Amino acid sequence: MSELIEGKPGQRYLLMGNQAIARGALEAGVSVAAGYPGTPSSEIIENLAKVADEANMYVEWSSNEKVAAEVAAAASFAGLRSLCVMKQNGVNVASDFLLHLVGGGTRGGMVIVPCDDPGALSSINEGESRHFARMLEIPLLEPGDFQEAKDMVKWAFELSEQIGNLVMLRSVTRLSHASGSVKLGALPENRPRARFRHGGFVLDPQEGAVTSAPVAYKHVLQQEKLEKAESLFEDCPFNTYTGPENPELLVITSSACNLYCREAIEILGVSDRAGLLKLGTTWPLPKKLIRTHLENCSKVLVVEEVIPFLEENLKVLAAELAMEIGPRTIFAKRDKTIPSVGEMNPDYVIAALVKIFDLSYEAAPADYVEKAGLCVMAGAPGRDLTFCPGCPHRASYWTLHNVLALDNRDGFICGDIGCYSLGMRETGYYALKTMHAMGSGTGLASGFGKLDQFGMDQPIVAVSGDSTFFHSVIPALVNAVHYNADITLVVFDNSGTAMTGFQPHPGLEVDAMGHDAPSIDIESVCRAVGAQTTVCDPFDMELTRDILLEKITGKNGVQVLIFKQSCALSPEKKGKPRYEMHLDENICIGENCGCNKLCTRVFKCPGLNWDEKNQHARIDEVICAGCGVCASVCPTGAITKKERA
Amino acid sequence: MQIYGPGELLDDVLQTGLCISCGACVHLCPYFATWRGKTAMMFSCDRKQGRCHAFCPKTEVDLDQLSSKANNADYTGAPMGAYQQVFMARAGDKSGGGDFQDGGTVSALVRFALETGRIDAAVLTGRNGLMPSPGLVTHSGEVAAFAGSKYTAAPTLVSLNDGIKQGYGRMGVVGTPCQMTAVAQMRSNPMQDSDFSDPVALTIGLFCTWALDARGLLAFMEKRAPEEEILKIRIPPPPAGILVLETQSRTIEIPLDDIRSLVPEGCRVCPDMTAEWADVSVGAMEGEDGWNTLVVRSEKGLKLAEDAASAGYIVLADFPETSLSHLNTAAAAKKKRAFDRACSQGLVNTEKGGRAVLRVNKQALEKMISEPGGIHE
Ligand SMILES: Cc1cc2nc3c(=O)[nH]c(=O)nc-3n(C[C@H](O)[C@H](O)[C@H](O)COP(=O)(O)OP(=O)(O)OC[C@H]3O[C@@H](n4cnc5c(N)ncnc54)[C@H](O)[C@@H]3O)c2cc1C
Ligand code: SF4
Ligand code: SF4
Ligand code: SF4
Ligand code: SF4
Repeated sequence: MSELIEGKPGQRYLLMGNQAIARGALEAGVSVAAGYPGTPSSEIIENLAKVADEANMYVEWSSNEKVAAEVAAAASFAGLRSLCVMKQNGVNVASDFLLHLVGGGTRGGMVIVPCDDPGALSSINEGESRHFARMLEIPLLEPGDFQEAKDMVKWAFELSEQIGNLVMLRSVTRLSHASGSVKLGALPENRPRARFRHGGFVLDPQEGAVTSAPVAYKHVLQQEKLEKAESLFEDCPFNTYTGPENPELLVITSSACNLYCREAIEILGVSDRAGLLKLGTTWPLPKKLIRTHLENCSKVLVVEEVIPFLEENLKVLAAELAMEIGPRTIFAKRDKTIPSVGEMNPDYVIAALVKIFDLSYEAAPADYVEKAGLCVMAGAPGRDLTFCPGCPHRASYWTLHNVLALDNRDGFICGDIGCYSLGMRETGYYALKTMHAMGSGTGLASGFGKLDQFGMDQPIVAVSGDSTFFHSVIPALVNAVHYNADITLVVFDNSGTAMTGFQPHPGLEVDAMGHDAPSIDIESVCRAVGAQTTVCDPFDMELTRDILLEKITGKNGVQVLIFKQSCALSPEKKGKPRYEMHLDENICIGENCGCNKLCTRVFKCPGLNWDEKNQHARIDEVICAGCGVCASVCPTGAITKKERA
Repeated sequence: MQIYGPGELLDDVLQTGLCISCGACVHLCPYFATWRGKTAMMFSCDRKQGRCHAFCPKTEVDLDQLSSKANNADYTGAPMGAYQQVFMARAGDKSGGGDFQDGGTVSALVRFALETGRIDAAVLTGRNGLMPSPGLVTHSGEVAAFAGSKYTAAPTLVSLNDGIKQGYGRMGVVGTPCQMTAVAQMRSNPMQDSDFSDPVALTIGLFCTWALDARGLLAFMEKRAPEEEILKIRIPPPPAGILVLETQSRTIEIPLDDIRSLVPEGCRVCPDMTAEWADVSVGAMEGEDGWNTLVVRSEKGLKLAEDAASAGYIVLADFPETSLSHLNTAAAAKKKRAFDRACSQGLVNTEKGGRAVLRVNKQALEKMISEPGGIHE
């Protein structure tokens, strides 16, 4: 991504939202960036890591979001500008530190960029980071297009330095992952020297110790900072209004919804009736600015995603102003004009405008909609989410499922977050029975493991990815060992943070910037905390099954089994099949009693398919990754493997 | 006999507790497996009919069909089934000795059958601690290691299915009455597979009143004796009413009433005490320690017993009349108990598409449930 650093100031480039944010950070002269991978945020750190050496930056994938925030804060304390990036739920992880950080304030500009995922396109929650800004009492900025995504970053750093506190810049999937035209600015030359000053008067914000105590005193200072931000927001260039001077309806929005609103107003041709106030600064709301707009209009529509954050804050302001300017009708989520969950799109905005303006509008003829629906039902093959061909998780879940079924005591697996979360679905044989936050699988297992006292006799297994292990499994594991919970933890070590695109983690010998780094050995960590630990290759299904059976059979405290096998898409494996596979059609018994299409009906690697005409299974050589696992699955020996030279 | 699929097997047998873990459905395909004395379904198989269901001795067992195959006649309901002769028997000098349960007749006959080439492999049941552990034996020297009764339901027939896969075509099988029922069903090629050939050349049945759930017994014993110290388990004939546990250091007596709850439901609806579908059936000998009761049923069984006796592998003696009458009473009592229970649950001759555990002609059924209840168990 050399464009990011070689792109010429004043020129336009097509940039992904996350690249625009990264470029913005470079233009702001950021020295340190830290984050934890999570869709849709990952490309920001990835892009910065690639140019770190050229830009004289330090960039890391931290072991979790709290550590990322701490690493970035250290740079700020030492007078540098720093960026800290995560997906929405990462802010929950970081929040304990952040709450303390904002009480004491920052020095060098520090910006936290959470990328939210309305509609949970690649998450298992619709968590929101905006309310953290309110809870932490820090300013919140939301870019409304790609240019702003870049420009606002620099503005955010300046704001942070002006008020001496953390600033949140929030993106969403449709901004982070879509692309748009962005005009670049200049990259700064010089870099400040890092020095942490701590010898001054204890309460001196630039020279003293940094902490949130004494709380009563510092909290007042913190709120003054927020007030200062509010006053700066009054004429922030990212709050824009387009529309008539006295509109019938004032639409207030922010973030990607800005684009949906623009589109809806244009499609309906109501730009002479509806005015659009796009806010770049959504917490605290600039009161004077809002007042000016409310004065000119009696009806307001608030368009935002997920929680009614903007709506509620606006209503508070409207209530405060009601005595002076009179009451306002506000259409938004609470009156169901706008859906209360999921992603927004232009259609929802159109529907809201149609309702408010009492228009008639048909997006598409009714029979077209019906026909399209039928085509989708009949024409498109039903496809569940599935693991890739050659994915070690398929083999792992096959064994986990079989072992728990064999054991026959209604055992279950506490799941965790990663590609292997798909273990909740058919591709993982429905093996996972709980799934929550990162690290929660092992924590839940630790708890389940103490319920034997109350008659619980089911075997308990937790799974964790390698990256998740470092992120937050270790404390739960320590807990389970200390309290002697009878559980088995299976670590799927596929050598990278596969789900989000192979970001390195502390278990690897390379860091985010591609430099050598000492690796932390998961096996040694588990042994060191006192768990009986075994390593095996999940592709060796027989051995794996036997070890696992033994581990879950006894009551032996915490057992760890590390499944070591790289992801099928990992750089060292991709396009390099290990085995040449062969399926003997004469041996395959297909649907007959004795098999009944085990490979294509149950195991379901996409590399295998069923030849309906000839009634036998087939290997799809284009898709098969040559992992060899199906040879162990086939009960008749029809599938064989041969090591490739 | 009505044949259904694995879904019905799961619903009717595995999930009702009727499964006695015999292993007949295991290793036929990847869907049924056994572990620590329990049979489990790994994944669902959507076939409408399958060998798993056809072989299972705890669902849709048609006694008339089994009888017509074995004896060319409808099932009569006679307490000990159809047989030619009953002997007292024990292992002879050529048997090689061993730590037999009773007279060692079973081990001796198996040895003899292997050594004379009547069978090419024997399906036997050993143990690993208290867990029954079946095995396939091809050398007569290995037989003694399997001596002794494991009073737990055992997945013996897994080894039979494995033996078929390994290409053995004349196997001898030693097993309980339910296992013998499964083997008889298996040998009748119920699915009419075109490439079927009978893999079994000899069946030796064991008398059985009930077996215990293996995991249940293990948990029960955990508090009483270390699993690895247990040398032998005996159930002396009635009216003792105890299970005797011999360990390295002591002998423990456990009242049968304490372990009756470990008897699987499948045994409670089993009408067969004397392994009616075997070539020969062997049990303990009432009042004569170190001897067996040997019931000879088929021609093949008779020839085996006679040849083994003349070759010195077993010793035969006349069977006392009083013992025969006691045996009949006990066998009849088991039949009555089983049919009473199965009938009360609607599991016999079920009509209108309903699935039965047992099917049998009316006359025999009447006879079996009207026999006076047995005094012994
Ligand atoms: C569960 C069970 C219940 C029994 N109940 C009675 C009863 O009520 N009345 C009675 O007279 N006799 C009963 N017997 C039979 C008796 O215990 C002896 O097995 C029989 O008398 C043969 O003695 P033996 O000395 O010839 O056996 P051995 O020569 O010692 O050989 C025993 C054979 O039994 C087989 N075997 C052991 N355990 C099992 C098992 N769980 N499943 C299948 N095969 C097994 C072994 O493969 C071995 O070949 C029962 C046996 C079992 C296994
Ligand atoms: S598992 Fe083997 S026998 Fe069964 S359908 Fe697939 S290739 Fe054929
Ligand atoms: S070898 Fe088999 S399991 Fe592996 S990718 Fe190919 S088809 Fe799939
Ligand atoms: S029907 Fe055949 S393939 Fe299916 S479970 Fe039964 S034995 Fe296995
Ligand atoms: S009784 Fe035997 S055949 Fe029937 S389900 Fe149980 S193990 Fe399978």
